[in-house]
Amino acid sequence: MAKILVVDDSSTVRDEVANFLKTNGLDVATAVDGKDGLSKVKADPGIKLVISDVNMPNMDGLTMVEKIRGELGNASVHVIMLTTESSPSMKERGKAAGIKGWIVKPFKGDAVLESFRKLAA
Amino acid sequence: MTDRLVSKVLVLDNHPEHQDAIKRFCDEHGLVPLKVRKNRLMSVLRSNIDLGAIMYADDYGASAEENAEIALRIHTVRPELPIILRRETVATLDDVNESLRRVFCAAYTASDMSSLSKVIDEYIFSLVYPNALVRGISEITESVLASQFKNLTTRWDTPYIVRDRVIFGEVFSLIPLESAWCRGYMMLQTEEQPILESLDAYSPREGGASFRAVNNLLGEVTNLIWGAFKNRYVGDAANASSSQIQVPLIINHKHRYISFGTENPQLCFLYTLTDENTGNTIRLYQRFIFNLSWSPEDFKEIVNLSWSSRASSNCSNPLLKDD
Repeated sequence: MAKILVVDDSSTVRDEVANFLKTNGLDVATAVDGKDGLSKVKADPGIKLVISDVNMPNMDGLTMVEKIRGELGNASVHVIMLTTESSPSMKERGKAAGIKGWIVKPFKGDAVLESFRKLAA
Repeated sequence: MTDRLVSKVLVLDNHPEHQDAIKRFCDEHGLVPLKVRKNRLMSVLRSNIDLGAIMYADDYGASAEENAEIALRIHTVRPELPIILRRETVATLDDVNESLRRVFCAAYTASDMSSLSKVIDEYIFSLVYPNALVRGISEITESVLASQFKNLTTRWDTPYIVRDRVIFGEVFSLIPLESAWCRGYMMLQTEEQPILESLDAYSPREGGASFRAVNNLLGEVTNLIWGAFKNRYVGDAANASSSQIQVPLIINHKHRYISFGTENPQLCFLYTLTDENTGNTIRLYQRFIFNLSWSPEDFKEIVNLSWSSRASSNCSNPLLKDD
């Protein structure tokens, strides 16, 4: 089964999203920031979807996605941002990096599941 | 909720003849008068009561000496609070002993309160806060609190202006707010134990919740409010002020005191989250301190939709289009 990586520096959000996905029968891993997320995507080819925050210490979510694309040349990993940010310039940067979805917090499970189903279809 | 901001003032004036006039003045000028017994004055001042100013009568003490002594002690304990002196005949401080004069910011008489009105505007309501901003902050925060404390009911008091700098509770967060029209901080302050009890009741973990769980929760609440504030009032970061000016923030643990390097009054909101099953309550103080820049004439809302409706609209189409 494809694995989902949840990347967020907030353990509150990380736990909430991961628990929600697990209760919906999905295989989930977590990372505490962009740097951690990047290393986990590199190490685990089973990760097919990344749900990531934008504002994080060490490495932000958009930089992480750009590195996933640039360093790995990996277009098979879909990325959805789950963030408080909604500025057009950030969304444009995300789209340029191949981000597939942008969900504004607070976390609503239905939105993530809907995105996941559309991407899996 | 009314759009009018209020401010709490400590009225140290026992003159029966003037009490009605002072109360009427407070009602008309958005002031909430608080009284305290003389023997409890210092302990109250050392606690957090979110004051805007102190109205002090020149016959509050039993003698002129005691009056001066009390005023000096108040100023020593809470130097950030403006003390406004009520005098019997003249509305000036010119003939007040020089060592005592620095303690008071202004004087007024009960027979002419027009001068007091100017003092209140100068020392308490000196910054203009747009109604749309005040209302929007309450809406945003209520939605965020509802999302993070799903089993609790959120209520909030009329927003008010404070001058005091005493820290409430045991844990607080700070996050910068940067835009073309404001630069400063949002601060959230709360107590640890009620949040621990709520976490243990509704998100139980082996061994019980720890202070780190409280920190994480407060951090996420702060982050969500900050994000919604940016989305609603700031827009693209590129349009925000590029000024790099900063001032040090001073936190004195011993006196539970925080300074942002300015005497500007702060915009304060108090939210009370109640567990209707147990009666357990969490108090959350939210303060906005625009200490680096404040230009309300340039304030604007980016989107007119309410925060909650935008949040739900994001759920209907979360995928980005490829156009």
